[in-house]
Amino acid sequence: MTVSNISTQYLTSALNLAVTQSQSQLAIADTEASTGQYADLGLQLGDQSGYELSLKNQNGLLQTLSNSNNIISTNLSTTQTALDSLRSDAQNALQSLIEWSPASGSTATLQTLGANALQSFIASTNTASNGQYVFGGINSSVPPIADYFSSTPSAAKTAIDQAFMTAFGVSPTDPAAASISAGSLQTFLNSTFSNLFQGTSWTSAWSSASSVNTTADIAPGQTIATSANANQPGFQQLAEAYAMLSEFGGSQLSQSAQQAVATTASSLVSNALTSLTQTEAVIGTAQSQITDANKSMSSQMTILQTQIGNLDNVDQYQVATQVNALTTQIQTAYQLTAQLQQLSLAKYLPA
Amino acid sequence: MSLSSAFNIISSSFVANAAQTAVISANIANANTPGYSAKTANVATTSYGGVEVASISRAADSALLDQVLTSTSQAASQKALSNGLTTLAQTVSDSSSASSTSGSTQNGQSPSAMLSNLQNALETYQTSPNSQSAGDAVVSAADNLAASLNSASATVQQVRSQADSGMASAVSTINSLLNQFTQVNNTIVGGLQAGADVTNAEDSRDTILTQLSQQLGISTVTSSNGSMSIYTDSGVTLFQGTPRDVSFQPTATLAAGTSGAPVMVDGVPITGPNSPMAIQSGALAGLAALRDTVAPEYQAQLDQIANGVINAFAESPQSSAAAASPTPPSSLPGLFTYAGATGMPSSATGLATLIKVNPSVDPSQGGNVDLLRDGAIADPTDIYVSTTGDSVYTYNSTGAASYTGRIAQLVSDINATQSFDPAAGLVASDSLSDYANASVSWLQGQNQQASDQAAYQSSLVTQATGALSNATGVNLDTEMTNMLNLENTYTTSAKLLSTVTTMFNDLIAAIPA
Repeated sequence: MTVSNISTQYLTSALNLAVTQSQSQLAIADTEASTGQYADLGLQLGDQSGYELSLKNQNGLLQTLSNSNNIISTNLSTTQTALDSLRSDAQNALQSLIEWSPASGSTATLQTLGANALQSFIASTNTASNGQYVFGGINSSVPPIADYFSSTPSAAKTAIDQAFMTAFGVSPTDPAAASISAGSLQTFLNSTFSNLFQGTSWTSAWSSASSVNTTADIAPGQTIATSANANQPGFQQLAEAYAMLSEFGGSQLSQSAQQAVATTASSLVSNALTSLTQTEAVIGTAQSQITDANKSMSSQMTILQTQIGNLDNVDQYQVATQVNALTTQIQTAYQLTAQLQQLSLAKYLPA
Repeated sequence: MSLSSAFNIISSSFVANAAQTAVISANIANANTPGYSAKTANVATTSYGGVEVASISRAADSALLDQVLTSTSQAASQKALSNGLTTLAQTVSDSSSASSTSGSTQNGQSPSAMLSNLQNALETYQTSPNSQSAGDAVVSAADNLAASLNSASATVQQVRSQADSGMASAVSTINSLLNQFTQVNNTIVGGLQAGADVTNAEDSRDTILTQLSQQLGISTVTSSNGSMSIYTDSGVTLFQGTPRDVSFQPTATLAAGTSGAPVMVDGVPITGPNSPMAIQSGALAGLAALRDTVAPEYQAQLDQIANGVINAFAESPQSSAAAASPTPPSSLPGLFTYAGATGMPSSATGLATLIKVNPSVDPSQGGNVDLLRDGAIADPTDIYVSTTGDSVYTYNSTGAASYTGRIAQLVSDINATQSFDPAAGLVASDSLSDYANASVSWLQGQNQQASDQAAYQSSLVTQATGALSNATGVNLDTEMTNMLNLENTYTTSAKLLSTVTTMFNDLIAAIPA
């Protein structure tokens, strides 16, 4: 038989220690039960903390990209709407040009048609979204096409006037212009006039847009072009056709020459329509890419959040059980302490 | 044998009884004194049949005491380390507190979370490069990252300074304990020679040893004359007849790269990397490990992160310089720079303290946010002029409002693999954000380990102390029982005395006058 000694000091302090320990565990379990997460995550995860943090960072990045994709989507929708209106304007213009014949309409019809179309072309091209001109390329802070009809003649108009004067020695509004033959006007339109809408002539006189489109990350590692720019052939052809009609449609030119203007313009507009449709397709592709990216990122975020939850979250059932067990333990310790107090030989000795 | 010898025996019984009662009283009085061991009066029969208290002995268990000393030292060193690491872990508090995972912005303040926020701000800025507010958000995220590195670095220095002053106070405690030990040890040696009761002195000697073991790991050897020698757990003599001189020179500021002075015993360093006999346990060992190894390693990691951030955002010349321009350096600090910068940092040491956002891009310091998109943060006053008249560090040569080339480059530079100094204890080559995460893992791993060890060692101390207390402590009921015994002995002796007296009286009465 082992007779082991126990010191009174240990007998009384042992319960004390048990209570203190249980109480601090209870405090932790309480926190965990109320928040559903480990009370001290770093201590719990140890060297897995970095992994957990990288999951959180990844989740944050996907969230940011989803948010910024909304801005890009808005810009792209605005671009699409503007392209739509450019296209429908162009179709209307084309319809009117086909219906027009020198015999049927007055000369002013062509001129009005061109001027109106040019104005709405400039308005649509200068569409802005979030303070960004959508057809400006990366140079998004400047309207891509300057006002053609401004009171001080625009650079574009001056260039056209000068070119006509150089070619024929008269202005289109001069009655003497009636003597210009359809053939020589056609040559002028196909060469000198057409050159004004291409290359550096276009970018210096007409367009402030940059040929470089804006790009953005729509998903980690996936970068797409997020704008169109007004330096594409469609825009140049529309501007050329509308300017042609606006400048020469109401002039003193002969009927055959006007017929040449109308024919050239309608062929330009129909080419431009093809080009615009292509641009619309590119923008549409970008939009569907964003939708796809958002979908895939959303499902990735769900997975990430589940993983983060697996690391961070406590088993609620287990914690609740732990709280109960600890409470019982502390109560038992209290009762024992009270009973131990009764256990003293001095109590049983006669006085 | 005669009646008078019976008198003598009874009187010796009273003396022994009183001595035993005194011992029991002392035991009961000290029942709750930590370090007090139960005393027993050893009773012996005298040559004439009487009784005497020959000696007083104390309940002692040197094996259990050794265990208490060892576990106390281990627990103290782990506790010191764990406390320091808990403070350090506050610099990455996002991984130790509940944070929302749904938002794109982290609540935490760790360099890793700040880096992630900066990356997110850049992604948003890339979508709207013409937006001033998106640029401001990038600069403020950058500011937060720099501030997070600064404050983490300040915490490291604070932890190291506290460890240093903790070591100074541990050394002064050790010296004062060694002086007390000298007195008590002398009392014991002298008392043993004179045959006096030295049990109480032995109790105080054990108590001093327990206190000493808190400060540093010790082992003891007792010689034949009762004198005790103390050695550190690494074998350096602390006390042998006389106390050895323990000295320490505190260091006022422990900046990155500065190492503190070692603790010396008789001119031999017992802490630090250059010590031939470094102590293994005790608060001193824990504090020294914190000051000399753990905290500097974390500091080095922070410095590496700061260096990596400065590198990732550095600018390089984009066009050839005009003839009149000085030769532009191949790279200059961009969005992030450091106090006193004249070029790229030559060494990473201390960068976490010095890193800051370049004032030329910070609107709150009169800077221009657009430089973030356009470049030339490094050269806002066009010192290095290109042939076109701009700074050679200009990336956006046309000044277009939606230029994203530079921003996209920065986003990819953050994710690009960089090389890091392996001396900082982490991988040598990794992306910046992975490196920052690895640093958090390293710190929390150390923290977890030290905390587990501290909890384990402290429960060992509780057990060992309990075992020692049970082996050597006072049990009141035992003492009470002994007291009842003594009371009975006293009563019986008194009765005997009165009987013998009556017998004497009867005898005297029987003699006719």
